[in-house]
Amino acid sequence: MHTDRERKSLFRGLPVRISHCAIALFGFAMACAEPVHAQLYNGKELVTPSLVSDVTAIQPGQKFRVGVLYRIEPSWHIYWRYSGDSGLPTKIAWQVPPGFKVGDLQWPLPLREKEPGDLEVFDYTSEVLLFADIEAPAILPAQPIVIQAKTDWLVCQSLCVPGRAELSLTLAGGANTASSSAPIFQKFASLVPRQPAGPIALGFSRVGKNLVVSVAGVPNTEAVDFFPVPPEDAVIGHVTRGQNGLTIPIDTEVKPIDRMDGVLVVGSGDSRKGYEINGTTTLTAMKPVSAGASVGFLGILQMLGFAMIGGLILNVMPCVLPVISLKIFGFVSEAGMDPKKAFRLSMAFSSGIIGCFAVLAAIVVLLQAAGAQIGWGFQFQDPRFILLISCLVFAFSLNLFGVFELSVSAQATKGLASLAGGQGYGGAFFQGVFATVLATPCTAPFLGTASAFAFAQAGWVTFLVFLFIGLGMALPYLLLAINPGWLRYLPKPGEWMLRLKQGMGFLLVGTLLWLVWILGQMKGVDAVVQLGAILLVIAILAWIKGSFWTPVSTGRSRVLSIVAMAFVLLLSGAAYGFVTKPSQLVWRPFSKSTLDEALAAGKPVFIDFTADWCLTCKTNERFAIDTPSVRQEFLKRDVVALKADWTKGDPEITQILKQYGRAGVPMYLIYPSGLKEGQPVLLPELITSQSVLDALNKT
Amino acid sequence: MTSHGPIKQTQKIKNEMIKTLLITCGLIALSAGLSFAETEVGKAAPDFSLSDTNGKTHSLAELKGKYVVLEWYQPDCPFVRKHYRSGNMQGLQKEYTAKGVTWLSIDSSAPGEEGNYPAAKLNEIATQDSASRTALLLDPSGEVGRLYGAKTTPDMYVIDPKGILVYKGAIDNKRSTDLADVKTATNYVKNALDASMSGKSVPTTATQPYGCSVKYASK
Repeated sequence: MHTDRERKSLFRGLPVRISHCAIALFGFAMACAEPVHAQLYNGKELVTPSLVSDVTAIQPGQKFRVGVLYRIEPSWHIYWRYSGDSGLPTKIAWQVPPGFKVGDLQWPLPLREKEPGDLEVFDYTSEVLLFADIEAPAILPAQPIVIQAKTDWLVCQSLCVPGRAELSLTLAGGANTASSSAPIFQKFASLVPRQPAGPIALGFSRVGKNLVVSVAGVPNTEAVDFFPVPPEDAVIGHVTRGQNGLTIPIDTEVKPIDRMDGVLVVGSGDSRKGYEINGTTTLTAMKPVSAGASVGFLGILQMLGFAMIGGLILNVMPCVLPVISLKIFGFVSEAGMDPKKAFRLSMAFSSGIIGCFAVLAAIVVLLQAAGAQIGWGFQFQDPRFILLISCLVFAFSLNLFGVFELSVSAQATKGLASLAGGQGYGGAFFQGVFATVLATPCTAPFLGTASAFAFAQAGWVTFLVFLFIGLGMALPYLLLAINPGWLRYLPKPGEWMLRLKQGMGFLLVGTLLWLVWILGQMKGVDAVVQLGAILLVIAILAWIKGSFWTPVSTGRSRVLSIVAMAFVLLLSGAAYGFVTKPSQLVWRPFSKSTLDEALAAGKPVFIDFTADWCLTCKTNERFAIDTPSVRQEFLKRDVVALKADWTKGDPEITQILKQYGRAGVPMYLIYPSGLKEGQPVLLPELITSQSVLDALNKT
Repeated sequence: MTSHGPIKQTQKIKNEMIKTLLITCGLIALSAGLSFAETEVGKAAPDFSLSDTNGKTHSLAELKGKYVVLEWYQPDCPFVRKHYRSGNMQGLQKEYTAKGVTWLSIDSSAPGEEGNYPAAKLNEIATQDSASRTALLLDPSGEVGRLYGAKTTPDMYVIDPKGILVYKGAIDNKRSTDLADVKTATNYVKNALDASMSGKSVPTTATQPYGCSVKYASK
């Protein structure tokens, strides 16, 4: 063992770690060291850090780079400067001789990864270099120049192990040449986010609890993401991608947050580019995003305009149009020779309609407030809200197609009818209410959808929107009462109304498509498929309702339809459980080395060659492998269960499949215990628990 | 109505706006109830019921009138170890359970994941640590963890006697696994309890928790 000084002179210009076992062989150095905190896990060092520089020697006033290169065991990760929901940022504290200036730590672009339980982390895997620029003083101090780095990290797989190392690097003064580490610096420097340049522009706007990041200058085909670095005292949620840009939910803020540091990420996979966003980044003023409460005055006007047009359209629905001419004739005959009275009657009638909508708006606003009280936020940034609206919109579109009708008792209808029986203005008002209520079979799909969307708006906006829908619906009465002659311009009721209603169903399906797209942006393909499955169940339920529970159905048919619906719900619940139930066996990912390791340890091994898209594999796993008897036997014999996932066509797995004459999955191999050489047992494609047990027992 | 035609026609279809609304509301309530709502400071902490390592069931509703601390716990996590090896967590547990606070540690590790131990083993660890909590609750399905949006171990929640959440987040402001940091750290849980119990407003009501991820079941 050399003393420290001897080592420094020997290893001038080479990376050296303070070490208990530095090996020096004729001036060749090997960085072999034990970190201050040995961090062994199952006999492996999880993270091997080394301090490196891009030069071998330095000149006065020269800028150069030093960094810590972390080599990380496969499937483990260390963390970025914002670690996410869990974990801890990696830390480096530099110690340099006087006069040397150390710049900010440079962080290459990390990965954004999900952990079970919808937790999200920003991390590095396999290898990363965290580095800083150092500027040497004009006059170099006495040599050798020692640069030290104390680094702390947390390395996690599913469990976490903290690590720490004190590293040191000795550089000489003199003509500098690139060190052998220079390519590594080049590689990781290219991954460090740069200042946004060119057409890329970014702006922030606050929408309630959300900070919305709008990005311009990025082609539509490129994926955009934002890795936030929130202030210490803030708590933020996960960044989601929506139609308006990226949304950062702000859970807690001490100082109001109207912008955030972080990295804008453009592209995906290896072609990702990061752009550093910090306090000095010039932000572009973005036009206010039209989401939730941030709708501007013009936006509101536009919304009200559409609401009124929507209300007007409601009039050509099958249950509404025939009523118009009847009503107008009624008013005209009741008013007799007084045309003003006819107008006043239709005014009273219209107030009845608008009154109904006011009540509906009040219910929506109250529900929204009650929801907010118990912590339900209704907003488009919330995937649960999107999911719910999608279900409603789909159910309503089925309703419009005529798959089912919403039907209930006639009692309330009768009650209203008696109120509306009266003459005069009071009678006309209640007739307005009555007509609105009677029209619901045709208007409910639209009003329901509108209500659902209204949940995401401010209360007063909701109220106004509903009033304008009412106004739109009442408009023909007001106009026609002024001049009943215009009745001849009214389209004649007919089958076309039914077709129009069905056509409107497609409009809702279009809306659904848009919602699905938003959900997909936020939560990915799994969520979209889950939504699809839910919609399928809704369709089946609606079909049962429409076929077997109509106003003319017998009591028996109704009971049976309830039973059928309960059965469908139960079945779909079970299917959901089947698909999403986590395996109770402890699987380890397959690799040749894990297999060899297990065999060398004399353990029996079971390999499941499978793929996500292989239904036979999934069925076998659920009904033949992950069963109590097999689990027990695996436990008893200490079987190592390896999962070879061929979902993406791993070439190593393909080769093994070929070796056993298989073109694809499923394939099952059992290596009996103590089998170091020789052939494993190959199970057939369709297996039972018994065949697995038999194969194990044969050995 | 002036004519019975339309009434009959519509009566045949038999419909009613109120019912439609009820269906709408029902659907909304149903799906919102199914999905898990994250807890918010200043709002009622969601109720739950879990059994502890001794088989006794604890529910939040029964604890109305008492301060309750929820501590997300996983014995093998280095961050949890930091607060137990330094005696910090036990100290808090001892101090506040003596003041009538109910201290519930919750282990949400899924079967097969780190920290999912049989109750007897957890009791053994508790004895070794001389833990002074009221109970250690088992949540292997992760249901309560998800209900509260617990992200890390430790992740701390302070609930006042009215059942209102007054603090959620990190145990203190030194985000590390270093035992020595405990002495110099600002302890948010202690501050929240002290302030709330003396009728003052809690200085820091929510922070980003730090630690290992809660070992929920992978889907």
